[in-house]
Amino acid sequence: MMYERLPDEIKTVLENGVPAELVSCSMDGVPNTTVLSQVYYVDPESVALSFQFFNKTVRNIRENPHACVLLNDVEGYAAWILKLRYDHSETEGPVFEDMDVQIEAIASATGMTGVFKLKAADIYRVESVKKVDFEPAPEG
Amino acid sequence: MAIVVPEHVVEFLGRATVGIGGTRDRDLVPHVHRVSGWSVSDDRQTLTCLVPPQFTAGLLLALEDNGQFSLTLSEVPSHETYQFKGNFSASRPIDAKDVAICGRHRERFTKTIAGLFGFSERALRAYVPPPSVAFDFRLREIFVQTPGPGAGKRLVPDSTE
Repeated sequence: MMYERLPDEIKTVLENGVPAELVSCSMDGVPNTTVLSQVYYVDPESVALSFQFFNKTVRNIRENPHACVLLNDVEGYAAWILKLRYDHSETEGPVFEDMDVQIEAIASATGMTGVFKLKAADIYRVESVKKVDFEPAPEG
Repeated sequence: MAIVVPEHVVEFLGRATVGIGGTRDRDLVPHVHRVSGWSVSDDRQTLTCLVPPQFTAGLLLALEDNGQFSLTLSEVPSHETYQFKGNFSASRPIDAKDVAICGRHRERFTKTIAGLFGFSERALRAYVPPPSVAFDFRLREIFVQTPGPGAGKRLVPDSTE
């Protein structure tokens, strides 16, 4: 199923605490995959990604704004693929402050206190959203 | 020039719990592909990836167009993570060995994640679907991506990106 904006049902997936994955691409055409601790809902047309220490990702995004994110909804038997375009970064304000608090909580829960440190909230425009469904495994 | 996977990374391949692949199209737009299993060749220069049908959209088109592939494997809960970059070399239909590799990965993923997150084992097993495509990519670089100050360091060939 395809969407042009973030549907309401995706909000619970963004808040489920399961890491997401991001693919970016350099200008010389090399893809880069990385794990994201947080994808933050801003509004139906944009999300914020935490910029912590993904230097290659940050370099890629600054030269090629396209990104693809995979969200995991395990109990929903689904995954969500977001096509994104980088718009700008925020280092203060409500989105940054909220993400900073959540990053601290994630770091504490995963034994990464002192390692996870939010440098910026990178704001991306949503270009498309695709829901991928999984068949439940047989019982037994 | 092809590289050789170090012994300790070969060992890691057998205990990694999550695999995510990346391609890009001719407009440099990236695409994500969940991986349902992986294996390394005897000469340790090539990785085989198994991709389920939910994540094959555009995969072979991109690989045959430009050959670029990245694979990030992570072990939960240690967060030990490596990224493998290389060039597509061949694809083929799934065989019984691939099904067995996927089955082992599914059980490892299910047991590990169920114990950490409390998800049902039924849901977790569904999250590693049977593969529909197997393809090989010849390794060019391996990067450390374990969170921390060493993240991003190129492990093989030895240098910092």
